Amino acid sequence: MVSAGEMLVLAGLVLAVAATRGFSQTNHLVTAPQTTQFLEIGSNFKATCMIINTTEVTADDLYWKLSKTTVSKELYTKLNESAISVTIPVTSGQSEWLLCRAEKGNSAYVSLNTGKFMYGVLLKKGYPPGKPENVSCVAVQEKTTISRIFRCDWATVGRQTSDVPTKYTLNVVVIHIRNYSVSTEGTHTQVEFVDTYPHFMNLEIWVEAHNMLGKIESEHITQDANSFVKTNPPSDIKVISEKYFPTSPLMNWTQPIDKSYGKLKYEIRFCTIGSPNWTYVPKGDIATDIQSFRLQSLQPYTEYITQVRSQLGHWSDWSGTTMKTAEDRPTSKPDVWRIIAEVDGKNERRVQFISKDPVFANGRIITFDIKIQEQKNDNLQWDTILVNGSESSDGQRVITVLKDMLLADLRPVRLCVTANNSVGTSPMASLFISAKGHEDPPVKGLKVWSAEGKLWLQWTPPNGPDLSEYVVEWVSGDQTDWQRENKNTRLTAIKGNLEGFVRYTVSVYSIYSGRIGKPASKEAYLKEGAPLEGPVVRLNDKPGRNEAELGWVEIPLHRQRGFIVNYTINYTGGGETHEITVPSNTISYTLKSLSSNTKYDTWINASTVRGSAQSSTHSFTTLKYAPGEVESIVVGVCLGFMFVVLMTMLLCLYKKDVIKENLWPRIPNPGESTIGNWSPDYPLKAETPKENCLSGISVLDVDVCDGKSMFEEDKACLPLKKDKYLSEEHSSGIGGSSCMSSPRQSVSDSDEGSDMADTTASTVQYSSVVASNGYKGQTPNPHPQQAVFSRSESTQPLLDSEENPDMMIQESSRQSQHFKQENPAEIHLLEMDQQQQQQEEGVESLDFCPLDEESEQTKSSEGQSAASSYMSQREGYRPQ
Amino acid sequence: MNGHVKSMHFQRFMETATTLLSLLLVMAFDSSRTVAASRNQQCGDSVQKSLKLSRLLQKESVDLIKTYKASQGEMSELFCKVSVNNVPDPNISGLEPSEKIASIYTHLQEFFPHFEWVYKQQTDLQLPTSPLLSDLRRFTAGSRNLAYLIKPFYQSLFPNVPLPEGGPTTLPPPQNVFQQKVYGCVVLKTFKELLSNVSRELRSLKSQVCRRRTHTNTLF
Repeated sequence: MVSAGEMLVLAGLVLAVAATRGFSQTNHLVTAPQTTQFLEIGSNFKATCMIINTTEVTADDLYWKLSKTTVSKELYTKLNESAISVTIPVTSGQSEWLLCRAEKGNSAYVSLNTGKFMYGVLLKKGYPPGKPENVSCVAVQEKTTISRIFRCDWATVGRQTSDVPTKYTLNVVVIHIRNYSVSTEGTHTQVEFVDTYPHFMNLEIWVEAHNMLGKIESEHITQDANSFVKTNPPSDIKVISEKYFPTSPLMNWTQPIDKSYGKLKYEIRFCTIGSPNWTYVPKGDIATDIQSFRLQSLQPYTEYITQVRSQLGHWSDWSGTTMKTAEDRPTSKPDVWRIIAEVDGKNERRVQFISKDPVFANGRIITFDIKIQEQKNDNLQWDTILVNGSESSDGQRVITVLKDMLLADLRPVRLCVTANNSVGTSPMASLFISAKGHEDPPVKGLKVWSAEGKLWLQWTPPNGPDLSEYVVEWVSGDQTDWQRENKNTRLTAIKGNLEGFVRYTVSVYSIYSGRIGKPASKEAYLKEGAPLEGPVVRLNDKPGRNEAELGWVEIPLHRQRGFIVNYTINYTGGGETHEITVPSNTISYTLKSLSSNTKYDTWINASTVRGSAQSSTHSFTTLKYAPGEVESIVVGVCLGFMFVVLMTMLLCLYKKDVIKENLWPRIPNPGESTIGNWSPDYPLKAETPKENCLSGISVLDVDVCDGKSMFEEDKACLPLKKDKYLSEEHSSGIGGSSCMSSPRQSVSDSDEGSDMADTTASTVQYSSVVASNGYKGQTPNPHPQQAVFSRSESTQPLLDSEENPDMMIQESSRQSQHFKQENPAEIHLLEMDQQQQQQEEGVESLDFCPLDEESEQTKSSEGQSAASSYMSQREGYRPQ
Repeated sequence: MNGHVKSMHFQRFMETATTLLSLLLVMAFDSSRTVAASRNQQCGDSVQKSLKLSRLLQKESVDLIKTYKASQGEMSELFCKVSVNNVPDPNISGLEPSEKIASIYTHLQEFFPHFEWVYKQQTDLQLPTSPLLSDLRRFTAGSRNLAYLIKPFYQSLFPNVPLPEGGPTTLPPPQNVFQQKVYGCVVLKTFKELLSNVSRELRSLKSQVCRRRTHTNTLF
């Protein structure tokens, strides 16, 4: 059913089409409304689309698109065969096109002329303007008059969209005279009155908010123009503090604008410097149009900030000055306290009496009068203590040392103090110090904690009959401060300027009618932080093979910045890092299970509840062997060696026959040897050079390292000869008989070329050396007792030469004496030789006197000749 | 029985009517008092504002004359002692309040052309930045505001008596510079005198008109 309204729309469309004939010739669709529409979000919008000048399409072919979305057919209303309407809800805030389009698949004309079958209307969405609120206007003072600029502010209400912005128009009407109007898009603007500010005229002010969706006015304000005036604050403010009215200074000022502009109201306030709380003078006490006011109830000798402001319409800004009231007599007692320190070795206490100025000092305290009574009836004179003139800069009361004294432990004392300023004397304060051990009981259950930037204390009162008050004392280093609390206090905060990261010892003293009771104390921090440094780490002792004892020095108190809750020991070595946490009361720790011969780095973290600090790294290296381990090994080896030696010796002793059998086998019968027919060509003369004998002796001396019998040159050769000695020990095995082996040969064996040794070793399987006095001369000894030196180069056992057995015995015994003195082994061997000789008839001992170094040179050449004789012997022991 | 009942109904009707009538009378009286109080307050406010503005203008006139003298160069004191014709009379005429208020209004109106003339002359004599020019404009505007305040006050007091607008003002003939300086000072001084008279008259009018009207209304 088409309504009458819709018929009217259609009629309008027809008329519009007729009016825009030229347009209709190109377009076959037209909408109503045709122009941009401003729509209120939340409302419904209805549009109509009509087909004109064509029969290609009908209303059934029409459809609506909102931006890129096809509007649901349910929202369409078919008006007739050539017109449809649509009603859409206005939702989003974005502007969009509503298009009416036609679509007919079987019409080539429609397909080819889509532009003619489309018509759109732009929808801009927004909100109607909100009513401006809180309109306020002001005209400020300019020099001695009021400015013509009239500024107003207001608050907006409701929402806006960028498509439908709201503008505001400020209307100011000077009633009966002139209207002023200014528009803006913001929330404040100003008008400028013509020629002058309209004093005493009524103004009507309102703000109109308007946009494409409507307009609305704020409440109209009709007020006297002067009610919008904001004057400058009063100027030239002076506060006069009079000597006889220390609590009532007089305040003067100059009014900011002439009285003819209106009566000015004033407001006055004051506060002490540093205080955030202002004291306002009651408005009823301040008359209008005044230029002076006497303040009341101020504290004497106190700095105040006083301020005043004026009001014609709006209140002006504050203006003020600082002043200090005059002095007055102190009206409260001085705050007396004491510091007691024990004196070592004496039954005395060092007492320092200290005092703060009275709370109501009402001036600068110049002196304290003190009197110390040891007994009740003492009537002593008052001592006057001058006060240093300095004042605390942080608002804290200055502490004055009144007296230092030594007080016997069992002696009580009473201190009486008054404070004086330039005007008068304060009431008297007293303090009673009991004998040591006779103090009244302390408070119980003291708790101290930090909260809200303060240190809080809570305690349970003691069971004292005449408890009068408490004193809360806090000490940090040598700084002591205190405050008093009344006897009903259970919970309080320290009012002094405490510093963070500083350890305080907080004590609560109960005061019993002036007597100081025992304190209850706790340590506390206002604020804790991480320590500034770690502890100093060191090793308490040298590191062991698998353990090391670490020790550390506690961090200085002022660097701790909090209670140490624990220490964390870190050590790293061999690629592994270990961490051990120990309690805060630990100052040493033994690291165990360490690897030997490993470098360890160790450091300690000291932790508070707020963080930790690390010490510097300390390095140490564990031992390769545990202490005593090397000694044990050496001792073990030595013992083992000694055991082996001992066993060898025992073996030698017990098996000497076997050894002898093996080492010195029986010598064949010399009668069967060819050498038995050998006789020397010349008689063997027993003319042995003296030096040779000495040489022989000296060699033996060298062997035993007896310096007494050594020549100087021999001493110089001690190391070498020592080697020789060692070589001789070896050679004794080679030759089978040390007496038969020449020392030179032994030396050659070890030191000098191996040719001789080789020669000997390769040629001599068995050797027997028979020394005689005639050996050197190579002269055959005609006498049978003469010693004969012979050497067999054959592989046959050597045969004893036929020589004089007496001489042999003599020489041999002489030689044996040396051996007895020096080398038991040699001696033993010699004895064995002698026994052998005795056993073997006809075989005599040979004497052999080795040469010294020099002699050996000579002998060497002689030896060569001897060697040649060896050669001849080698070739058949031919007679020499 | 019926007659007695009718009589009782009538008595009740009469009591109700009497009560209603009394109530109406009380309401009417109270209403008249409220209206009278409101009018009285308006009267007082209008006079008070006019009085305050006249005092402010008086103060400003003193300052303006000082500024005028300071800006006229040498012999400025002498200018203000010379008498000049064609300057409106500062005296308030009339015996009745309406006549006095009308006189105040017409006198104020008469001065405005002279202010304009002085401003024009001084514009030629002073630099554009001279404070005298801005002070003159501000003072003239304030004086007009006073006239604007007087007019509705008069109309509220005497709604049936038209307020005379005043006759044509005779401005002085062409003057030389000296005459212009003298003329300006005389106009300002005369107007200051007028303001003094206005203040005095308004004070008396405040006590006469507003109280009398209150008294009249109260009697009513």
